Amino acid sequence: MKVLEIKNVHKVYNSSEVKVHAVNDISLDFNKGEFAAIVGPSGSGKTTLLNMIGGLDKPSSGVILVDNTNLAELKSSGLIDFRMRNIGFVFQSYNLIPVLTAKENVEFIMGLQNRSRKEREERTRELLKAVGLEDRINSKPSKLSGGQQQRVAVARALASKPKFVLADEPTANLDSKSTETLLDIMEQLNREEGITFIFSTHDARVVKKARRVITIEDGKVISDERKH
Amino acid sequence: MIWKTAWKNVWRNKIRSLVVIISVTIGIFGGVFAVAIMNGAIEQRVDAALNEEIAHIQINDPGFRDNYDIQLLVNNPVEVIDTILETPGVEAVSSRLVLTGMANTAASSTGVQILGIDPEAEKRVLQLYKTTIPGTGDFFEHESRHNLAYVGHALAKELKIVRYRIDKDVLDSLAARGVPAEVMDKLALFTGIRFKSEKSFKKAVKKVLSAKEQHDYGTAIREEAWSFRKRSKMTLTFLDSQQMQTGAVFRIAGIYDIKNTMYEMSQVLVKKEDLAVLANLDPDACHQLYIRIDDLENTEEVAGALAKKLPGLEVMHWKEIQPDLAMMTEMVQKFYAIFMVIILAALAFGIVNTMLMVVLERTKELGMLTAIGMNKKRVFNMIMLESVFLSLVGGVAGMLVSQLLIAATAKNGINFANYAEGLEAMGYPAHIYPVISTSFFVIVVMLIIITGILSSIYPAMKALKLDPAEALRTE
Repeated sequence: MKVLEIKNVHKVYNSSEVKVHAVNDISLDFNKGEFAAIVGPSGSGKTTLLNMIGGLDKPSSGVILVDNTNLAELKSSGLIDFRMRNIGFVFQSYNLIPVLTAKENVEFIMGLQNRSRKEREERTRELLKAVGLEDRINSKPSKLSGGQQQRVAVARALASKPKFVLADEPTANLDSKSTETLLDIMEQLNREEGITFIFSTHDARVVKKARRVITIEDGKVISDERKH
Repeated sequence: MIWKTAWKNVWRNKIRSLVVIISVTIGIFGGVFAVAIMNGAIEQRVDAALNEEIAHIQINDPGFRDNYDIQLLVNNPVEVIDTILETPGVEAVSSRLVLTGMANTAASSTGVQILGIDPEAEKRVLQLYKTTIPGTGDFFEHESRHNLAYVGHALAKELKIVRYRIDKDVLDSLAARGVPAEVMDKLALFTGIRFKSEKSFKKAVKKVLSAKEQHDYGTAIREEAWSFRKRSKMTLTFLDSQQMQTGAVFRIAGIYDIKNTMYEMSQVLVKKEDLAVLANLDPDACHQLYIRIDDLENTEEVAGALAKKLPGLEVMHWKEIQPDLAMMTEMVQKFYAIFMVIILAALAFGIVNTMLMVVLERTKELGMLTAIGMNKKRVFNMIMLESVFLSLVGGVAGMLVSQLLIAATAKNGINFANYAEGLEAMGYPAHIYPVISTSFFVIVVMLIIITGILSSIYPAMKALKLDPAEALRTE
């Protein structure tokens, strides 16, 4: 079952003098339950591609279908709502809300989704347990290590029960032990909850874990390998 | 969720938030307390007017007010009084004779209104008797003595039945009021000398004290040094019902002090029975009926009912008798609101500035929130709530401080003795007890919330313009 289809997507940035073809005719399909890494050097266009998949940026041409919804057809308010219901985000610099505790950060999106308090609390506890932070439930981000913060971010991304999770260089700021823990957790959640993970990275450890590796250079897909 | 996050966001940068909150606190405190003082002065003025001067409702012949014609009496006064007392809402009634005449002493003379009253009935309607200066007499208690008069403080001074003297008691009470020893030494020179007028006393004091000493302690010295000459007499002259000049000597048996120079100067009270005999009128005759009702809220209704029952008479309630008082209470409400709006407008700029910094500082976080699905309305609400919380915390603190100070001054009031002369000339008290109505508090809270909302609009619009992808890239 396809959760995401990318068809002939281009992204051209018109800076004052030169045209930059950040994404040049990319077509990709993602099925439910994939654990895929988009790999490439910086400037290769992977973040641009990820932003377009996440509805944060619009393609210059081409179509992106998330669960058969064409993102281009959504208005900006509809797009925000769509992101809230369908896409989980994990950012390179964690981006937790500093004034809220781990629990409140995870609950936040469910609050936006108007879920009941009981449901929010159950799911939050379950997710924080899954990422191994059940004892840090009431800690503020400033009291957590980078790895722990990113695990909270993963729990937050999953809280809304999204169609897929987009992670932009999730391990870039982490040491190898934290990276490993995070990857194990993401993989486990991927298997258990059947949630599709797509991450951009140039971290070899992440590439090793991924079951599908898409390599991009100069805005084009140069290889798309599936392991196993 | 949004409320909680907004509240926590307020405390993200504690110092900055506190600076804004304190400025709002001071602004609101200043405004509310100033309003409380003005409000207190006006309430006391209205209260004094109703309880000491004009009562709640007055009834008289329709032409009487035009020129106080002695012939325009209330017909059948006994029945009229019965009718009034039967009317629901009426608490008490007092009948009065009102004559225009002159008050004379050896030293001075002045035009006055001579009011013939029945002390017992009068005490039930007005509380003027409570303002009697202790030791000046007992007009309201003497049942049998005739030709007693009850005069105002200002008139007593005008008629020069006051005297000024410095003795040990005066020096002691001046010491208690903090007058320094060197001033006291100079004053001690006057021990035993009686000054028959304020003018001569002032002149003597001026000779020994420096200008600064006079400015600082002059009022206190005059307040302590004066006393009334006991058993003073004055002649009241007026025209009787046959337009014949008549008059009699009255002994002053009480001086009232209501801090309203104009009223004190013009109203002399005597017993109605004495005045009726002198003016050649029937003992039951009266020109005016003063009425006290049990609930001021029903003023108009009771006055309406009385007017219906007494078709030949003019019935006026206090708002008609002194429209300036009624207008004042309404006008100042608007004035207070404008006053607060100006203060809050100034504070709003501080809040806008802070909220702009908040948005700028949190660009990345706001981008993240939009990315994960927080819609514009919610982002707007969150910023707006933060701004409302900031202003509301400051506002509530400001009102608490004002309320505390109002409570602290409720017992002793605030003494504006230096301005007493001017204030009392206008009928306003110099000793003010600040008060605030609950409705004013509610209005201020609403204004504060509106300020919070208005000052969040521009910063929140800035937040809404952020492009999430771009905002996430900022460091």
